[in-house]
Amino acid sequence: MTGSVKYAFYPGCVSRGACPELYSATIEVCARLGIELETKGMQSASCTGAGVLQEKNRRLGDTLNARNFALAERTGLPLMTICSTCQGVMAQANDRLTKDPDYLKSINADLAPEGLEYKGTANPKHLLWILLEEVGLNRVRARVTRPLKGLKIAPFYGCYIVRPSSVLGYQEHPERSDALEQVIQVVGAEVADFPGKTACCGFPILTINEKASMKMVSNHTLSAKDAGATAMVTPCPLCHLNLDGYQPTAAAQARKPIDLSILHLPQLIGLAMGIDAKALGLNKHIMSTQKLVSQVAVAQ
Amino acid sequence: MIDQDVLVIGAGLAGMRAALAAAENGASVAVVTKVYPVRSHSNAAQGGINAALTDRGDKWEDHAYDTVKGSDYLGDQDAIEVMCREAGQEVITMEHMGTIFSRDDAGKLGVRAFGGQRQARTFFVADFTGQALLHVLHEQVLKHKVKVYEEWFVLSLLVEDGECCGAVVMDIRTGAIHVFRAKAVILASGGLGRVFEPSTNALICTGDGMAQAYRVGAPLMDMEMVQYHPTTLKSNGALMSEAARGEGAYLVNALGERFMKKYAPNMMELASRDVVSRSEQTEINEGRGINGCVLLDCRHLGEKKINERLLTIREVAKDFAGVDMVQEPVPIRPGMHYQMGGILTDVDGQTAVPGLYAAGETACVSVHGGNRLGANSLLDTLVFGRRSGVHASDRAKYTKHKNLTDASADNDRQHIRALLDRNGPGEMFGKVRLEMGQTMNQHLAVFRNQQGMETALAKVRELKQRYEKVIVHDKGKTFNTNLIFTLELGFMLDCAEAIVLGALERRESRGAHTRTDMPKRDDENWLKHILIAKTPEEPKVSYKPVVITQWKPQARTY
Amino acid sequence: MEVTLNVRRYDPDSAKPAPYYQEYDLEIDETHTVLDGLIKVREEVDGTLALRCSCRSAVCGSCAMRVNGHAVLACKTKVRDLLHRGSTKLTVEPAGNMPIIKDLVVEFNVFWDKIRAVEPWLQPQGVPPQQEYIAPNEDMLHLAGVMACIMCGACVSDCTVLEVDKHFLGPAALAKAYRFVADPRDDAEKSRLGKLVQYGGVWDCTRCMQCVQVCPKGVDPMGRIMALRDRAIENGYHNSNGARHAETFARSIKHSGTLDELRLPIGTFGIWNVKEMLKLIPLGLKAQMRGKRPPIFHKAIPGAENVRRIFEKVESKR
Repeated sequence: MTGSVKYAFYPGCVSRGACPELYSATIEVCARLGIELETKGMQSASCTGAGVLQEKNRRLGDTLNARNFALAERTGLPLMTICSTCQGVMAQANDRLTKDPDYLKSINADLAPEGLEYKGTANPKHLLWILLEEVGLNRVRARVTRPLKGLKIAPFYGCYIVRPSSVLGYQEHPERSDALEQVIQVVGAEVADFPGKTACCGFPILTINEKASMKMVSNHTLSAKDAGATAMVTPCPLCHLNLDGYQPTAAAQARKPIDLSILHLPQLIGLAMGIDAKALGLNKHIMSTQKLVSQVAVAQ
Repeated sequence: MIDQDVLVIGAGLAGMRAALAAAENGASVAVVTKVYPVRSHSNAAQGGINAALTDRGDKWEDHAYDTVKGSDYLGDQDAIEVMCREAGQEVITMEHMGTIFSRDDAGKLGVRAFGGQRQARTFFVADFTGQALLHVLHEQVLKHKVKVYEEWFVLSLLVEDGECCGAVVMDIRTGAIHVFRAKAVILASGGLGRVFEPSTNALICTGDGMAQAYRVGAPLMDMEMVQYHPTTLKSNGALMSEAARGEGAYLVNALGERFMKKYAPNMMELASRDVVSRSEQTEINEGRGINGCVLLDCRHLGEKKINERLLTIREVAKDFAGVDMVQEPVPIRPGMHYQMGGILTDVDGQTAVPGLYAAGETACVSVHGGNRLGANSLLDTLVFGRRSGVHASDRAKYTKHKNLTDASADNDRQHIRALLDRNGPGEMFGKVRLEMGQTMNQHLAVFRNQQGMETALAKVRELKQRYEKVIVHDKGKTFNTNLIFTLELGFMLDCAEAIVLGALERRESRGAHTRTDMPKRDDENWLKHILIAKTPEEPKVSYKPVVITQWKPQARTY
Repeated sequence: MEVTLNVRRYDPDSAKPAPYYQEYDLEIDETHTVLDGLIKVREEVDGTLALRCSCRSAVCGSCAMRVNGHAVLACKTKVRDLLHRGSTKLTVEPAGNMPIIKDLVVEFNVFWDKIRAVEPWLQPQGVPPQQEYIAPNEDMLHLAGVMACIMCGACVSDCTVLEVDKHFLGPAALAKAYRFVADPRDDAEKSRLGKLVQYGGVWDCTRCMQCVQVCPKGVDPMGRIMALRDRAIENGYHNSNGARHAETFARSIKHSGTLDELRLPIGTFGIWNVKEMLKLIPLGLKAQMRGKRPPIFHKAIPGAENVRRIFEKVESKR
């Protein structure tokens, strides 16, 4: 592709809450890749329900997502997410909404008072897939000014961008199954492959079964380290919250030091583009990224 | 040595129903099963279970007549009456236990039409009725805390003073061999489908019970009556339930004709299975098939009905034939499916050996005669499973344990030791089984003749010789499946021989036994059962009259 | 076509039992399943290979195992479908989360123990009717989706919670529990749910959807677990971290349109749960220092009243 592309931007709650660094890194990176982001028309979009609301009331979740899709339709732009969880929940809702016209009609009845109608055309896409399928990895490669040579990065997908594969377009887009690995290589780093990359980070049970949640964090981070990882990258801010924010707790429980930097997807790309670490919010993590950042600088 | 009043062998529908009945009757019960109960082949029964529920205007006598006619008058009518009279209560009992039968608009049990019956009386759970019943019985077995020895394999039955008093059983997990002592033993170990290749049957259907009973002197009956199901997939022999035709699917030949109008103008696709299978095979043999198949066309049923009622077979056709039956007709052909014959029993499951009972496909009461109606097999397992359980536990009340010891297993231990010690470049069980299966499927299928059956007999006897030299590669104790398969092959070869002998003996065509060289039914000479009994020399053939109560044999048209 | 099955083997009877991988080169048909391949091995090549299998048509549940890292029914999985990008090798391993007995055979008792733990039998009250129980067909159809479970253990094999906490009842047992809770003939809903909200029960699921993904029968175990959570709350079981988390979450969205991350843990533990609140402080402080903590004054989205209206409308429909 040439020129710029524009998306209705759905940042999700976490990038505007506990992970503001994801938001700023996204803005920085998208600007350099010629991805324009429409934020105004999406301001009144609500939470997707994150799967939590759906467990209480699936129809409620579907209605909220239909509302968000209708808002995106109103901008006339395709929809971009930066959160695996949002991506998954949206895709599941969209699957139900678009395969049953009667259902969609009844949902639309509840949107009507606001003057909204979902026509079924939204196709929510995570930044990761947009890079692969629309921007093209060649363009990313072309913008890399500081290849991350010598770094070994472990990909961590998060559940909702992987499962259930039947509603996430893996049939039509088999290349999505190693999307992160492809990005890691494009920015000049090496892939640290490890068994838990599509497993659960533990975040959803953090407040319910903390011990189990922490064991997930330590299992994944330690096995990534065993695979030689210098850092881990994730397209899911919720995974980031647990893998980064709770890593000290997990390390204490495992009685083992971990010290693994966890990057948001745009931070990884931004680093390779030579964007300032602070602008990427790399100073806002619980696990320090200083060593990583200086390693990148030294490599130049 | 492990003692109990009643030992049940097999944990499919018949076995678990027997165990529950015996436990409720106050007996101490143990179930021995070579697979976990919910893995049993009862799972594979898709379409439903027949019963005439009187409160909706059906009569058990009508069900009985359809069954008698379906059997081509070889079924014993006293036994058929028992089964059909008790059917309604059995279905209600299963419902009360928790079976999620399909309902009508009023919330009462709903029915679907099934082959060979003039009235819709088949109760069902989508198209996995067997699985739904099996899992519910398993729930009840858990509730009643019946002791189940899971993944234990029976090697032989023990007989003292002419009475069956236990079994020798191997714990597959450890390889240890134990003596189980019992006052009554119920064989509920299923069919023998793997004697044929291909077959709709699971790999565990190896005729163990039939061969074990045969080896201790219980005669086998009606063994020549092997059902070929009209709708099986060519690729792997997988079953496409009769429920498809019950819901209205068509059978179509290469010319696009619903050919059943030539063979069964009234019942069409829902004629008895033997009739439909013969019709299909005739179409195929006369050049109106497609790659050895005809077509099962469900398209006009619509996706909604297919998903609600035939989802399992939609998946099966997708997975194993690569065809979505919502969009395309499915190529199918007759495939070996069920053994009408088995261990001769009375209506209480008693075999010729006192203390030994049999129920389900392994038994022959005989309620199916020359051809079983669809959805009568689940009924057979439950009614006669329960009756065996009751009778066997009654027997236990006045019977003492025989004088067995752990040494009672020594014969089997030696046999297995010898088998494992046999080394050399000889063949494995696999090749022998495949040749047996292909031979049987070639010569004892839908159409048979003297020459073919004689060829089969010679081949089976050759394979029996070769079996004596088969090598077991795995010498270990833990989970030695190589050893188990080899032992199963021994059982299957006994069954194969009995099938061929019975078939050669019956010089007429009746039910599933259709001879191109003797195409007519001959009531004058052959309205009788054929029994095969083991003797130290050749197997011995004898006869037993068919019990006729109220339905005189007539010409059979559909 | 030519294919290599790379099979993880383990023989407990060997002198020094240790797992290892063995490769079998096979010539198989395009339509063949992984199970066809394994049967070919044990019947023609190597009789010592142990695995469970029976029906060959995805109804008996015997042959769940991991192929290329994910649990599948070997009889339902075509070899061809798993060979990506010119690869001709498949890795076959025993199911996960259960101890290995031999080769591809795992100890299933841990599976049955959990099934038993949910009292998996119908518990009606009173004398049963003369005839059948009257029940709506749509309820039966709904339950058929759960009864379609063949207990193959694929979901248990790949469950991410069981991997870290053996106490979890797991997807199969919880789906089985749902089958009774949702059965109109069962009268033990309340007591069943009372047990299911305990540690190891419905709230311990991470919603990772592994079970949904690998279930060969479309049972949707996680969906059943979510339905159990909902019923638990409906039945008055609010007093668990999970229930409070779900309710606080919903409340936050209802009132502001987005998630108030700061209130979420407080709502989950309860503001009076001093121990858990204290535990939050160090993390909160560190997060604060890094500028990572969510805003104290949670801002509602513009037009939040529309979200509230949808909540009220849809919730009133139930």
